[in-house]
Amino acid sequence: MGRRALLAAVLVALPLAACGTGTRERDAAAVAERFHAALERGDGATACEQLSEETASKLEQQEGKPCEQAILTLKLPKGGTAAVRRVEITSAYIGLAEGTADLLDEGPEGWRISAAGCEPGSSSDQPYDCEVEG
Amino acid sequence: MRRFLKQNSLSIVFLLLFLGALAGQAFAGHADLNEQAIQHGDPQMSLSRYVVSSNFAVDVMENWQSEYLQFTLLILLTVWLLQRGSPESKELDKAGRESDQRQRVGAYAQQNSPRWAKVGGIRRTIYENSLVIVMGTIWLGTWFAQSVAGHVQYNSDRLDHHLDTVSWLAYIGKPDFWARTLQNWQSEFLAVGSMAILAVYLRQRGSPESKPVGAPHGATGVEG
Repeated sequence: MGRRALLAAVLVALPLAACGTGTRERDAAAVAERFHAALERGDGATACEQLSEETASKLEQQEGKPCEQAILTLKLPKGGTAAVRRVEITSAYIGLAEGTADLLDEGPEGWRISAAGCEPGSSSDQPYDCEVEG
Repeated sequence: MRRFLKQNSLSIVFLLLFLGALAGQAFAGHADLNEQAIQHGDPQMSLSRYVVSSNFAVDVMENWQSEYLQFTLLILLTVWLLQRGSPESKELDKAGRESDQRQRVGAYAQQNSPRWAKVGGIRRTIYENSLVIVMGTIWLGTWFAQSVAGHVQYNSDRLDHHLDTVSWLAYIGKPDFWARTLQNWQSEFLAVGSMAILAVYLRQRGSPESKPVGAPHGATGVEG
């Protein structure tokens, strides 16, 4: 009985875990696409809502102006389609068809962008070179 | 019912201990993860999320694989290897797979022997090695599961540090995978090796894992 219950739990949990990853990839990609669509419209406020608190506050410090203004001055893709979607526990990598990538973290309010406009470092052990990051 | 419980008390108690310890690991592991998240200013994870996460899976699987490896090796190596005076070892003149007569297979099978012990061919070959086949398969399966969950956790940590992710093949060459694997293997090998030696000289009255209290130190393959 115990063994059957354990097997049943594993058989149920595995597909659920697999389904969960697909949904979370879509959710993370949607946040990145919303961010770049907002930049395309010149809607800095909506773009900043997609950033993590830490990233938005660091941007304001660096640029010396509110996030919704500062974000529009950066060299980030205006509009973008998620071409590569990878979710690793509470971190996600969304590669855009337009070239650069966004890194996201999952918190209580869902996915938020922690770094945007990222390109690979000079080697695999060098961090991404990002246009904005927290 | 009482009789069933008494006759199966060893596996029932270990199943309950296992479930209790696994639940304890889930609570403690979840608390530890969230303590670290607070220290790093990262969002916390719910318990229901944690128990299906790769963080929990890799910690569980790295221990499971090493336990199944330990027993697979113990079952397999004690076919040929001996330890004088140890109840873990066979008698010194019985090293090897032994004769069909001693193993009660084929023509020497008894009325109540398992069906596949009575037949010949592939079925008997499978049944003769079924314990190692199943334990070894579980070892390889859990070791693979450790690598898959460890890969996800490793990549999550890399993304947290804004580093590029690595492939599964690259991960199984990384120190993280081998440190997790070997830290468990060494403890299992030590435990089995020390048990084999300590049981030569020490006793536990009534335990089949020990020789009878009065058995001489040199007596090999005797269980209490």
